[in-house]
Amino acid sequence: MIREIVRQEWEYRRDRPFGRLVQLFVARIFRGGGDTDTEGIDLGVGLVLTLLALPGGFVSIFLFDKYGSLLQWLRGQTNVDTLLIAFPDEYFFIVLPMTVTGAIAVWRWDAIFPDRRDYMNLAHLPVATRTIFFANLLAVLFLVGLVALDVNAASCVLFPMVVSASQGSLMFFLKFGAVHAIGVLLSSIFSFLAVFAILGLLMATLPPRLLRRVSAYARGMVVVYLVTLLCTSFIIPDLLRRVKGPVPSWTLLFPSCWFVSLCQLLRERANPAMAELAKLCVPGVAVLAVFAFGAYAIGYRRHFVRIAEIAEGTSVTHAPFPWRWSALEQFVLRTPFQKGCFRFVGKTLLRSEAHRLVLTGVGGLALVLASQSLMRAFEGMKSARQAAMTSDALSIPFTVSFLLIMGLRIVFEIPADLRSNWTFQLMLDSDHQECEPLARRVILLLTLPWILIITFAAYLYLEGPVVAVLHTAVVGTWSCLLTNIIVVRFRKLPFTCSLPVFKQHSIVILISLCFGFLIYAGSTAEFESTALSHPIRMLSLLPVALMAWYIPRYLGKNTIDLERKLIFEEGATRSVELLRLSE
Amino acid sequence: MLEAIQLTKRYSSLPAVQDLSFRLQPGQVLGCLGPNGSGKSTTVKMLTGLLEPSRGVVRFNGRAIQEDLASYRMHLGYVPEEAHLYPYLTGWEYLEMVGTLRAMNRDRMYLTIDSLLQLFSLHPARHATIGTYSKGMRQRILLIAAIMHDPDIFIFDEPLSGLDVTSALIFKNLVQALGRSGKFVFYCSHVLEVVEKVCTDVLILRKGVVIAHDSVTNIGKILGQSLENTFLHLVDDVDTMDVARDIVEVMKAA
Repeated sequence: MIREIVRQEWEYRRDRPFGRLVQLFVARIFRGGGDTDTEGIDLGVGLVLTLLALPGGFVSIFLFDKYGSLLQWLRGQTNVDTLLIAFPDEYFFIVLPMTVTGAIAVWRWDAIFPDRRDYMNLAHLPVATRTIFFANLLAVLFLVGLVALDVNAASCVLFPMVVSASQGSLMFFLKFGAVHAIGVLLSSIFSFLAVFAILGLLMATLPPRLLRRVSAYARGMVVVYLVTLLCTSFIIPDLLRRVKGPVPSWTLLFPSCWFVSLCQLLRERANPAMAELAKLCVPGVAVLAVFAFGAYAIGYRRHFVRIAEIAEGTSVTHAPFPWRWSALEQFVLRTPFQKGCFRFVGKTLLRSEAHRLVLTGVGGLALVLASQSLMRAFEGMKSARQAAMTSDALSIPFTVSFLLIMGLRIVFEIPADLRSNWTFQLMLDSDHQECEPLARRVILLLTLPWILIITFAAYLYLEGPVVAVLHTAVVGTWSCLLTNIIVVRFRKLPFTCSLPVFKQHSIVILISLCFGFLIYAGSTAEFESTALSHPIRMLSLLPVALMAWYIPRYLGKNTIDLERKLIFEEGATRSVELLRLSE
Repeated sequence: MLEAIQLTKRYSSLPAVQDLSFRLQPGQVLGCLGPNGSGKSTTVKMLTGLLEPSRGVVRFNGRAIQEDLASYRMHLGYVPEEAHLYPYLTGWEYLEMVGTLRAMNRDRMYLTIDSLLQLFSLHPARHATIGTYSKGMRQRILLIAAIMHDPDIFIFDEPLSGLDVTSALIFKNLVQALGRSGKFVFYCSHVLEVVEKVCTDVLILRKGVVIAHDSVTNIGKILGQSLENTFLHLVDDVDTMDVARDIVEVMKAA
């Protein structure tokens, strides 16, 4: 009976204008938005939700090894304080959904607020602007709730199960799970609201023309912050545990500290500083919610209601600087293919939101790893000169170049408005494509010059010309060789081909990448730290370099003609190729 | 001469175009008419080399275009049905990229782009991103991209969509001028008046098959009607007046 009433009420509400608007905005947030018709990566709601839930689930499963009582016993660990060893993991589980939820908000940045497209479609209908406002607000709240639940669903069940595996008590499981759920859900909501507040603040304070430019940089900075936040999971739990006395000011920069402190307080494991930090959680979320929705209301009034007035003159103009290209074309880019496509690739990287965001994320990760290496390099060292020759410091340019080169290679696979690639399909000769040299030039031109200049300048100042030249030469050579390897058999114009399909060997490639990184950045730097003091030893890197140069060359030469053709659609390789001899 | 010989295209064994043949002489403007789903776009894609025919061949000056697509396309100017352009490039950048890919001389290219942008009234917006352009502006960018390298063959697929009255008039006159100057023009459209006005010949498709192919004047003469009535007579089985009356009835009943 009640079920029937609820069903009828739901159907009635769903079919009312307000319900329809909410549905429209929810779909719009998931499927796209923005004034420009940039084609995003439309993965479908189901797949997006599954992907979001995966990290929490996977990480929980990997932790069985740490908490299993048998494994602990085999390792000789007895009388383990489960709550104590769970603290760093709890921190990680708070930081992870904060990063994922924040990233979602950044990803759907343009779709959160109603835009010109909504205005053109809805403003002429007999719907009050406040109805549109509240419908969109409800859609945003729905999204916050859905993402928070989805991102944390797996970890809320699996992590408490894993931790309580050695306890054998249902109460422990329930208590631990409840506290964990409170912490992660609050942190997710906080993260989304924080991004929402930044967007609302920008909309409420900036004129439309400036907003377009500033919002791109704001999104980039948020991504860098989120990557930094994720990387703090290696350091902050230890620092928090060691805090004695008043709350350190740096904890205010990382709200993740507040939420993990709340969990510790609820488990009666908080030190005085944590107890103080835990008090910030609920007021923090409440204040942020009020601020975010206030800013949203003002931003809505300033932008949406006045879209008709500000319709003209909001376009961003990009006046050309021919000198930048002409110098490149004279020395680096030779053929019309390279000249035309290099500009396209460069401009896509600079202006396409999706590509910029991924690159910013990779850049942020490189920055964080480089900072960590730098910090480790200075540990126990008396001077900068001494620190510069440690493997940690020497690994910095390798780490940065590896991540940027790989990041660019990955970004090349993300399509930019596939419907527009007819231009290239029509104009490029598929039999004589130059995608491999083009990709190589783009990667090296965008990464190598500044990495080499900074490396050379820093080591020239700290260690003198010999070490500077040798180290820079190794970084340069290794970057070129890595680029050569990753572009071998590359036969698409970046951004014009559909997303690659998942292949069985993709996991092998991923694992190889991790090992590759360890060898590229770790082992080379280790070797250099001992060899740079006796430069003749550096010659032993030559055979490795020759091998790394020869393998892609060999693979390139042994590619069949069919695999050299330019492609615009990525499909699974057919096991049988029809020759169509009868036609 | 541009020649289509028994072009057939099947999608999963369903024929979209069947045994389509025609010859296009220099100076001839061939209009292609047909209702939705008649195979016009498929024909255009085969003529541009974007689609490979399941059977048949397209020849340009006696040579199959698939033998050397790259050089054929150097002679080709194409305006697609929908103006899908990279929204983050400016109009100038897009045209510059197209010109570069066509290996145009740099100085000549800049001069041509600049002049054409002025003639098509896009000069003030040349450094604004295409994402902010109206449909008509995007269409004009496509037109400039198609003509800027002075090709021999023009393939226009609904080129007037979104254009304002002045731009449309300019374009119609341009098509006639191109024909007079000895270019090959293949013009696909739904707008019968335009085809009647600018084309010398017409090809009418229905369900992928050519049902009429003659000069515009001859087609009218054969059936003693205007092109519009001829088209309806050949292609559609519906009485349009009846349908219009029915629509009004349904509106009144709402």
